[in-house]
Amino acid sequence: MIFRAVEDADLIQRAAKGDVEAYNLLVSRWEKPMYNYLLRITGNREDALDLTQEVFLKAYRNLGKLAQPGRFAPWLYRIAHNEAYTMFRKRRPETGVEDMEPRGTGTGIAVGGSSVFPLELSLSVASALGRLSEEQREAVVLKIYRGFKFEEMAEILDCPVSTVKSRLYTALDLLKEELAPLEARGVS
Amino acid sequence: MSCSPFDLRDYLLRELAEPQRRQVEAHVRSCPSCRLELDRLRLTQTALSSLGDEEIPRRIGFVSDKIFEPSRWRRWWESLHGPAGLGFASAAMLSVALIVSVATRPAPAPRVAGTVKTVSEDEIRQRLDRGIDAGVERAVAAIEARYAQRTEQLVKDIELRDREERRAIQAAYELQADYQQRTLQAYKRSQYVASASDGGSR
Repeated sequence: MIFRAVEDADLIQRAAKGDVEAYNLLVSRWEKPMYNYLLRITGNREDALDLTQEVFLKAYRNLGKLAQPGRFAPWLYRIAHNEAYTMFRKRRPETGVEDMEPRGTGTGIAVGGSSVFPLELSLSVASALGRLSEEQREAVVLKIYRGFKFEEMAEILDCPVSTVKSRLYTALDLLKEELAPLEARGVS
Repeated sequence: MSCSPFDLRDYLLRELAEPQRRQVEAHVRSCPSCRLELDRLRLTQTALSSLGDEEIPRRIGFVSDKIFEPSRWRRWWESLHGPAGLGFASAAMLSVALIVSVATRPAPAPRVAGTVKTVSEDEIRQRLDRGIDAGVERAVAAIEARYAQRTEQLVKDIELRDREERRAIQAAYELQADYQQRTLQAYKRSQYVASASDGGSR
C-alpha cells in the first residue's frame, strides 16, 4: 500500500507535467475501485461508468491543484462524491439534497463480482445496504469496501470526523441487526 | 452496551493505535459480553465482504490510450473532415485519377483541329469527377456499413445483458421468497413445539 502510494505520487507528478501516459497508468490503477464506489452509491452501472469517466477527466484537468500528491485517493473520491451528487441534483432539481435517494436504494444495490459466499447472503447484504440512508451507505462503502481512514472520509464527504463516525456506526448497528440471522447460517 | 475501554467498532475498523488495541484485546479476553459483541461485529463485517467488486464493463478511455486510439482507416477518414483535410483529399484523389487517366488513355489520335483538344479536357474533367465521386461513395458506404454493424452488435449486447439481468432479478426474487417461506415454516414449527410443550407441562 505504501509502495503504491509512492508510485502514485510519482505518476501524479509526471502527469501534472503533461505526461499523459503516466495519467493513463493512474487511471488503470484506480478505475475499478472508483467504478465500484460509484456503483454502490448510484446503484446503476451506466451511471457509474459515465461518472467514472467524468471523474478522471475532471481530475486530469485539476491535477495542478492537488497540493499533496500523497492525498490523491481522498482528493479523487471527493471529486467522485461531488460528481455523483451533482447528477442526483440534476435528476431531481425540485428535491432538497437531504431528501434525495440515489437509484441504488431499495433492492437496487448491484450484486456482482466473484464471491465465495452464497448468493443468498450477497443478496441479503445488498438489500440491507439498500435500506440504509444514502449518507450511511456511502460511509459504509468508503470504510468497509474502500478502506479509508476517518480523516480521509471526512475530507471526501466534507464533514467533521464525528459526523462520519456517527453515520458509520449507526449503519453498522443497523446492519448488525439486519444480518444477524444470516450470519449464523451463511458466514460462521 | 459495551464496557470496553475503547469503542469495539473502532477496534474492528483498525482506527485504534497499537497500545489501545492491546487494551481492548485484554479486556475482551476477560469480558464475555464484549467478546460476544465483537464477534457479532466481525460477522457483520464478514457478511458485508460477501458483496464483491465488479469488473468495470469497459476501460476508461483517455487521451492517448493506445487501446482507444482510432484505427488507421478511421484516422484517415476523420482527417477528411478536418479544415485542411478535404482539400488534401481532393488533391490526392485528383492526382490518382490523373495518373490512372494518363495510364489507361489510348494513344492520342493525330491532331486535326483545335476542337479536339477542348473535348479531351472536358472528358478528363468528367473522368476525374466520376473517379472522385465513386471513391467518396465507396468510402462513405464502407464507413456506414461498419457503423451499422457496430450498432447492431451494441443493440444485441444490450438486449443480452437486459435478459441476463431480468433472469438474475427473477432468481433473486425466487430465492427471497424461498427464504421467507422457510423462515415462516421454522417459526410455525417453533410455535407448535412451544405450545405442545406448554400443554405437556400442564
